[in-house]
This record gives sequence, structure tokens and C-alpha cells, in this order.
Amino acid sequence: MIVIGKVCRLSLVSLAVSVILPFVVPVFATDEDAGIDFFEKKIRPVLVEHCYECHSGDAKSLKGGLLLEYREQLLKGGDSGPAIIDRKPADSLLMESLRWEGLEMPPSGKLPQRVIQDFQKWIQMGAPWPSSRKTPLIDSSKTYNWKDLQQAHWAFRPVRKPEPPQVAAEDWVRNGIDRFVLARLDAAGLAPAPSATGIDLVRRIYFDLVGLPPGPEQVARFSEIYSNDPDRAVRELVDQLLESSQYGERWGRHWLDVARYSDGFGGFNDNAAMNDAWRYRDWVVSSLNRDLPFEDFILLQIAGDLVTEKKSPVATGFLALGPTYRSDGGDPDSVSQAKSETLDDRIDTLSRGLMGITASCSRCHDHKFDPIPQLDYYSLAGVFNNTAVHQVPLASQEEVDRYNDHQKKIQEANKQLQQLNNGIKKEKRSPNEKEKSQQTQLQQQLDQLRKNAPQKYDTAHALRDSGSGNMKVAIRGNLRKTGEEAPRRFLRILAGEHPPLFTGGSGRLELARAIVDSANPLTYRVFVNRIWQHHIGRAIVRTPSNFGKLGESPTHPQLLDWLASQLLESGSIKQLHRLILNSSTYRMSTRYNGESFLKDGDNRLLWRMNPRRLDVEAWRDALLAVSGELDPTMGGPPSEDINMKRRTLYFKVSRGGDRFRSDELLRMFDFPLMRATVAQRPVSIVPQQYLFMLNSQFMGDRARALAGRLKAGADSDGTRIEQAYQLLFARKPLADEKELGLKFVGQKSTGKVDHWEKYCQVLLSSNEFLYLQ
Amino acid sequence: MFHRNPFAPISRREMISRMGAGFGTIGLAGVLADSGLLGAEKSGSPAGSAPLLPKAPHFAPKAKRVIQLFMPGGPSQVDTFDHKPALAKHAGQRPKIVDRKTLRNTRNGLMVSPFGFKQYGQSGKWVSDIFPQVAQEVDELCFVHSMHTDIPEHAGAILMFNLGHLQPSRPSLGSWLTYGLGSENQNLPGFVAMSPRAQPRGKLANWGNAFLPGAYAGTYVNIASMKPDQIMKDLKNSRMSLNEQRQQADLLTRLNRIHLERQQQNQQLEAGIQAMEMAFRMQFAVPDAFDLTRETKKTLDLYGSSEYAKGCLLARRLIERGVRCVQLSHSIDGYDIAWDTGHGDIEGGHAKLAKACDQGIAALIKDLRNRGLLDETLVVWGGEFGRAPTSEGKKGRDHDHYGFTVWMCGGGVKPGFSYGATDEFGCSAVENRVHVHDLHATILHCMGLDHEKLTYRYSGRDYRLTDVSGNVIQDILA
Repeated sequence: MIVIGKVCRLSLVSLAVSVILPFVVPVFATDEDAGIDFFEKKIRPVLVEHCYECHSGDAKSLKGGLLLEYREQLLKGGDSGPAIIDRKPADSLLMESLRWEGLEMPPSGKLPQRVIQDFQKWIQMGAPWPSSRKTPLIDSSKTYNWKDLQQAHWAFRPVRKPEPPQVAAEDWVRNGIDRFVLARLDAAGLAPAPSATGIDLVRRIYFDLVGLPPGPEQVARFSEIYSNDPDRAVRELVDQLLESSQYGERWGRHWLDVARYSDGFGGFNDNAAMNDAWRYRDWVVSSLNRDLPFEDFILLQIAGDLVTEKKSPVATGFLALGPTYRSDGGDPDSVSQAKSETLDDRIDTLSRGLMGITASCSRCHDHKFDPIPQLDYYSLAGVFNNTAVHQVPLASQEEVDRYNDHQKKIQEANKQLQQLNNGIKKEKRSPNEKEKSQQTQLQQQLDQLRKNAPQKYDTAHALRDSGSGNMKVAIRGNLRKTGEEAPRRFLRILAGEHPPLFTGGSGRLELARAIVDSANPLTYRVFVNRIWQHHIGRAIVRTPSNFGKLGESPTHPQLLDWLASQLLESGSIKQLHRLILNSSTYRMSTRYNGESFLKDGDNRLLWRMNPRRLDVEAWRDALLAVSGELDPTMGGPPSEDINMKRRTLYFKVSRGGDRFRSDELLRMFDFPLMRATVAQRPVSIVPQQYLFMLNSQFMGDRARALAGRLKAGADSDGTRIEQAYQLLFARKPLADEKELGLKFVGQKSTGKVDHWEKYCQVLLSSNEFLYLQ
Repeated sequence: MFHRNPFAPISRREMISRMGAGFGTIGLAGVLADSGLLGAEKSGSPAGSAPLLPKAPHFAPKAKRVIQLFMPGGPSQVDTFDHKPALAKHAGQRPKIVDRKTLRNTRNGLMVSPFGFKQYGQSGKWVSDIFPQVAQEVDELCFVHSMHTDIPEHAGAILMFNLGHLQPSRPSLGSWLTYGLGSENQNLPGFVAMSPRAQPRGKLANWGNAFLPGAYAGTYVNIASMKPDQIMKDLKNSRMSLNEQRQQADLLTRLNRIHLERQQQNQQLEAGIQAMEMAFRMQFAVPDAFDLTRETKKTLDLYGSSEYAKGCLLARRLIERGVRCVQLSHSIDGYDIAWDTGHGDIEGGHAKLAKACDQGIAALIKDLRNRGLLDETLVVWGGEFGRAPTSEGKKGRDHDHYGFTVWMCGGGVKPGFSYGATDEFGCSAVENRVHVHDLHATILHCMGLDHEKLTYRYSGRDYRLTDVSGNVIQDILA
């Protein structure tokens, strides 16, 4: 089958450029002016009337890849080559088309001879065109002044380490973060919310760092220290949780969103299972747990197979687990389409996920807003065009050989037996005595071999280099229609006009180094922004995967740079968590303030902490934790059984989001589609979620377990209710809450289900259990 | 039986005034709403987190709901609604228009339709004998004979027809409609997809939400095996009585209210309370909507007993209750691309398929008209492509994506009207060609939506049902 090229439309900002300029200079000082007058009078009106419907940025669908809005576009031409050759009308395709020799333009009817002659004359004149015009963000003349462009947009400028500003309320400041936040609040006449209660804080820190609720003992211990020395209480808790292995499970999942991690099964044309995907997941979890330096964390995921030290092919699952499309039908168009879709997945994940730039937009044309020419897209694509996905053995060569040799023996024995049997069958007779004994012998041999077969060695999905050639620019994204060669090298907006060429194999290692280079202005900013988002609820750049012109500007640009430089200096992700969690900013309560809300309803300046709904993983894990059933076993293959007791991280996830029961549950609670890198999850509240809470077996089972736990813990209803509130909400029930509970569980029993179970299900379904203050 | 929710929605004025008048487009509001940042201006309730509340269209709509009668597998145009008498004269010949490398199986030349055609209605429309009952309604129908699509292969073309894209990575038509307009009944899913036994090829991609929020996913129902109280997962609680459940729900609401009072101003919490009440009501509203025993014998007789007819009747019950979009796919014998039996045998295959849906479809049109619902319901009939006028084997026809017919009726389109044409043999659309994107643009238009403005930002760019194409077919609008 044929797949139509991915088309790109950025419609929030119109590219419309006024094409009719008022002509106000009646007297010509030069020949040039005369030429422009000729153009404005004779040529431009014809272009506007007859050509722009199909050949302008406003065209409903651009025809032939040809734009006729600027002189350079005519010189550059479209799919069929240049439209005009300077001062050579006879060689210009435009003239041929206007004369209806070959192409017939405009298709609605041949223009009058007089007009065609005007065009001839105009080309002879050198196709004069006024230079003053409204410029789009990227100059469509295709000349990029890289030095200027690197300064033109905040995200492309180098990361600086700004000095945290002085503020009036020094006593609020716990670290640099608070200075940046408070300075902006002060300037806007806003005050930070008071500190959260110890209880809110301990829950917040637990869910934030490990994605699980604190138990009553942990709450009690924290509260005790907190009442005497809040700083110490927070510091110690943060340190303790960062050392727990649940930290990696929590933050690993955040990263897996970026990595659009799935166990395969993308459906149509990409339906392969990725049975070893979990090894990459486990690599992410353990890397975070051991605080692998940030630079390595990123570099290994791109080129972990190519480094000599710390070699980690598994890490390249970051890219290898993406879709690898097959063609349906095998015709050349479908094959090239499948390849180009696959390449695009790698580039999109790499560029948006790691650097917050939408390089994918340059697949079919130069980026309309950011300085990423199509040539640069194919410079990156060239790297992945020389990269293949394979099953890498996670065993020594001897082990692999031993296994393979043994398998060969099995096959041979099997073949012998089959040959013997087939021979007999062919002759339509029963085996004679000799043959019978041969059969038995071979069968025994085969059985023996099978029995003694060494276990299949472990494998992982990984990248490997497969070549070292450059690609050519694919005209309008069609790999079968190529233009100039795109040397493999880094993006020029980040590496300057002449980036060093990639020379080692595919160039992937060099690409990885360029991404983690300390001079790369994007990688560090993008990463700290993601960390910030998960702690604070909203990111500093609220489009975490788009730092380009169409992305949002940072709410706190200096803070962003300060955090990025902290990460650059320490290389420690855990250190970054410490910095954020020990700030006064993080400790603010979520308390509503009408006055602040009126001024800054979106809380861009952070006058309070953002209240948050738990994501599906934290919510489901918390249900299992409070009912006392959570199985903390880490790692290993995933499960599609929604009733499993392990953490939700270990659910099986299909790329199409539609294959497993686990997919269904996850998606109901806003787990995103793992087809493309994910920057943030939506929060939608739908009745189906409550049908699940009220009626599902899963919730019923948790309620029963929780009821059992409460009953075992205390004899009186009142104490049980108190314990329930401690377990679920880390607090005592209010008087009316307790009263409602007592009344409910004290009713005369009517149905099959115990009142305590029903009561527990209500508490587990409550908003308070689902939201974080 | 149910309590009306006694709590008025909280005021959203503060938020709205802060946002100013700056958000007009549904698309943008949608993005904000999905993050729970913003409610729908119209209702003043926390629609931000109740994504199916009705939303204002871009302009006054002609139709309020869509029933899509999807015919997977590719019904043959020249054997159904695109009458081509020239086939008889030129049988066995291979005129230039069919002699193309990109058209499959044309070697045997043109084949005359095995079915007779008669003229019907005031419009005098020719209809094949296999659709005698639909034929009685031709004066209601608006035919588009000049459809064309991108590829002659089922899986991709089916997705194109239902998603506007050849890959299963985009939201379906019904998802876009509910995203753009919400639904008029909060106790039922806004978008229901149905078929007897087999799901159309591509399965749930055909009613999937892809990157749109989960609330816009179609709910699928297998007509053949449905039990009204099991239409949705976890719809029924097997362990508790209604009374027990009500007590639970009441307690939950009260505790959530206490919590909300302490937290102040959090529309997500409010939305959660409402969603829970809604879930409670769904447990009854959903089985009720799917319960055909509530229909009179007269109505049941009108529709007849085929499985597809049952779907037609369910479709009416659903849109009557305010469901925004119903997609009803045809299937017999558990085949996921039913009309593809046309390969081997047009006469047998098509006749059987038509018989299985003819009465139900005609009944649906009549029933909608009698109830005054037809004017505001857009019915769309058609498959992912058509079939070539040449013969495959002796009696069959192969795929043809160059030309095929769909028809619409009801709100927004001209009744008793035919638009566009294929060549004299019915092979390729030649006059007023209509691509599937154009059809989608037109359906959205009838529903009051501008297909260029109904956008959703995902993965760094804005997506539309019609991608970067699509023109509203102005000439067929009523």
C-alpha cells in the first residue's frame, strides 16, 4: 500500500504574507526602480490572480512544491526544478509552462500572448522584485545567518548562570530558586502562599519522589521532626527517599513518557511485539537509582552500543523501541514510505524529547518557524539511516555460540528424522524393523538434545550501526525524489555554520556527544524543565517539548538557566531534586487566594503550589499500598493483568494503546498514547472512571483488603475509621467525617457485602485520595 | 428514582474574566479544557473537566448528530446506485479508462451488472433491484457519485474513510465530532460504534480517539451478542443492590463536598463529584437506551429482523437521546470487510448483503422522518471505495478507488439530489470529484464545524480531521 507523506501544518500562527505592496514612488531614480515598477504593474497582479491559489503559502494545497511569492523561490523552483533561469527566458520552465508546452499553466486557461511576453521581458530584465517585504520568522530566501539566528531566540542562546537576585524577604529564601521566584512575585505585587502543613508536605514529597503514600509511622516520624526543625525534616526525608529504589520506578516512568516507551504492538504495519522492552525500562530505573551522571544517561541512550566504557546497548532502547514500520505490499513507494516514517520517529523522539525542538517539521520542507532547514533534517536522518534495530544478546559470545550450535544439532537431528519419515510416507507403507529402530534412535537422540539444550540467552532491543553513507534531501518528504546530499552532522542552529562532519560509522556517537555537549543550549534546559514540571505541577516552559518559536516563553527564564547550570555543574539528577525539594517555593501550600487568583489565575508566577491529580500509576499503586497488598518486586517482564499487585509501572503497554486490558485501564485514566514522545499528560474526568471505582472487581478487592486490614488493626468502629484516615489521608477524620462513617458502618446489614467493605470503597474512590495538595 | 444533583455548579467567572475574550476557537478551548484549566464558557459549569458537555459549534448547524452507515469492503457503485447502461453495449471491452496499470483486474473487460435497475420517486433516480426499500426513499437521498480515495487496499482505505488518514494514528470522525461539540446526553457515551459480529477491519481505530482525550473514544457494541447492561465495562455492580449503591454514592458525594469546602476553588474536584453522579446514572441510562424490548411491535416490524436492522433501530434510540455520533458498520457471516465478497461473485454476495440491510436502512429513514428527527440528523451511507466495472474471474469485481458512490440524507443536504459523476462506465470520478477529505469537511460543515478550525495540538503541531485538505461540497448543501 501507499502511504501519503506526513504533512505538517502549524495553524496557530498564520504565515500569511501580504503580497500586494502599495506602490508609491512614481518617479524612478534608477533602472532598478523601473524594473520593479514593471514587476508591480505587469507581473505581480498576474501572479496574484492566476498563480497564488496553488503556489503560495496561502494555497489550500501547494502544487508541485513551487512557491511564487519571492524571487528566490522562482529561482529555486519546485519539484520540477527552477521556475526561472536568471535572464534566460528561453531556458526557463516558467515560460514553457505559460506557453503550454509541457506543463500547462495556469491550468484554467492559457494567458493572453501579451502577458506571456511581459513575463519574457521581465525575466530578461533579471526578474526584478522589490526587496522590501514582510519577512516571516525565517527568511524564505533560505539564507540562514547562523550567528544571528543563535542570538535571535532565547532558547538558542547559551545557558548562562545568572546571579540569584536580591529580595526583600530574605527570611523566605532557602536557596537560589526562591530568589528567582520571589523576585518575580514581588514585582507583580503577589505574595507566596504560606508553608504547607507537615502532613500535606510529607504526602507531597512521598508521591513526588517515590509515587507512593507514606505509611502512618513515616508520617508520625516526619511530623515530629518537622515541628522542631522543618528544614531538617524535609532534608532527611528527601535524602532517604532518593536512596530508596522506588525513586527510580517513579522517575523512570516520567522518563518513559518522553521515550514513548511501549512493549510494541503498534497495529497496522508496525505490530511486532517488543518482548524485551522491559530491559530498557529496567535500565532507566536502575540508572536513575544509581544517579548515573546526566551526560551518560543521555549519551548512552543514543549510542550506548558504540562507547567503549560503560557500554550499554540496552540503553539504546530509547530509540530502538520506537516503531519500525514495514511496508504493506512491498512496492517501492510503500517501502520508502515505511522507511521515512521510521526515520521520523527517531528524529522526532530525539529532537523533541531531548532538545525541545520540532525537527520533524523539516521533513518535507524547511521549518517555517525555527531555523531548521530541511537539509539539517536529512543530516540527522542520515545517522539513523545507517542505524539498525536488532536483538542484542546479553551474554558472552561463548554462551551465544553454545546455544546456537546446540540448536543446529537439534535441527539436524530433526531433519534426519523427518527425512526418514517422509521417505516411508511417500511410499505409502509402514516402516520396516530397521527403520523402526532408526526412528526410535533418532527420536531418542532428538529428545536428549532438546532436554540438554542450554537456555536461550537473554536479549534486548538495541541499535547497531549498519553503514556510513549520507542521505539526500527528500523532496517534499518523498525519499524516492531526492535533492542535494545532506552531510551527516549536527544541526547548524546549535553547532554553527560549519558543524564538523560525522565520520565514525553512522555518526550516532558524535551526534550523542553533540547533544550532551555542555555548550548545547537546549539539552540541559529541556531536562531541568521536565524535572521542574513533575515537582511543581507546571513547567517553567509550558511546552516542555517545544522550545522553538511556537513554544511558550519561560515563566522564569533566569531560574531555568540557573537550574540548567546547576545540572551542568553537578551532573547529578538527584542533586537537582534536592535543590527543588528543599526550596521554600516547593514547600508552599496550595491554598487559594482570591486576590492572587485575579492577578495570576494561571499561577504562572507561582504564588502557590499547584494542586495536582495523581497520575494513574501513583493512584493505582496507592490503592494497593493502603490496602496492604502492594508487591514491591522490581523489574522483569510486564503483565497485562490489571489485578496484579505489582506497581503499575509493570503493566504491559501497547504502542497503539488498544491491545491489552492494562492499556484500557491506563488509557481510561489519561495514560497517553505511546506513539510519540509525551511532554505532559492531560487530566480528564469522565464517568467511566467512576464506573471503574464503583463497580470494578479491582476496586472491590482493594476495598475488601483494606476492610480486613482495618478490622485486624482495631476493635471499635471509631478507631478503625481513624486508622483508615491515617492510612489514606495521613490525618485524623473531622468530626462530621467520622460521624458519617460511624453511621454508615453501623447500619443494619442488608446485602451480601459488608458495610466496612462498602465504606472502604467509598474512601478509596474519594477525591482526597486522588488529589495531592 | 434518582436524586437530581442538588449542587449548583460553581461560578467560573473569575477564570473567564481573566482569560478575557481571547479564546474563541473550540480547538484552543479544548486544549485548555483537557488540562482542566478552563471550563466551557457557555454552561458556566466545570466543563473543563467534563469534556462531553455540549459545546457551541462554529456556526449554526443544520444537523445535530450523525449516523454513519458504514459499508466496509467496498460496495460496487455500478451494481447499487450508479446506473451505467453503457456497460451492456460495451461488455467485454477494455476502454482506455479501465485499461490502467493502477486499476486491478481489468483483463476480462467490462461486465454488465447482474441486477436490474428501475427508476424511483419524483427524482426518477435509477436504483438497483437489490435495494428495493431504500429505493422508495430516493427522494430523501443526496447522492455523491464522484467519490475517490487514495488507495485500493482495505485497511488503509477504511482508515481514510473513518479517520481521514491511512494510518491508525488519528482520531476518528466521531471522536472529532464529540471533541468539537460534546454530547447532548451526559448519561450515555457521546459516540457509539456498532456492528453485528465482526468489527470492520482496523477494529477500534475506526472509532478510536488516538491522541484526543479518552472521553472522545467511541464505545463499541457488538449488536449480535449485546446485553444492554453489559454495553460498557463495569457498568453493573454484581455484588450490590441499587439501594446499597445509592447509599455509597451519597456518602461519597458528602465526603467529597466536605473535602471541596476545605480546598476551595478547585473545579477538578467539583467535576469529579459530577462525574461520579453521572456514572451512577449511566448504570441505568445505558441499558435503557439499548433495550429494544421497549419498542412497539409496529416499530420492530418496520425495521425487520436482520442484525443490521437491529443496529439501525438502536442508532435511532441513541440519537434520539442526544448521542452525537453513531457509526453502524455492516457485516454478515462474521466478515470484517463484508462487501469484499464482490471479488468472486457480485450477484450472490451483493444481493445477500443488500438484503441484510435494505429494510433496516429504509426503516431508519422513515422512522427518523416520522419522529421529526430526520431534519437534524445526518445519515451517511458508503464504503471505503467502490468496485471496478470490469469483471474479476467471471462474476466478480475488484477494488476501485478512482470512483465510488456515497449517499447522505437528513440535516444539511439536498434531498432527491445527485452530485458528481463517474465516466460512462462508472469507473472513475470525472465530474465534480469529491475526495474523502471533502466528504469529511462537508459532514463537519453540516454539524456547524469549520474543518479548518477544529484542531487539536498534539506532538508539536495542530491536527485536523482533514489534515491539510478538504473542501466543503457547497453544491449539495440544502
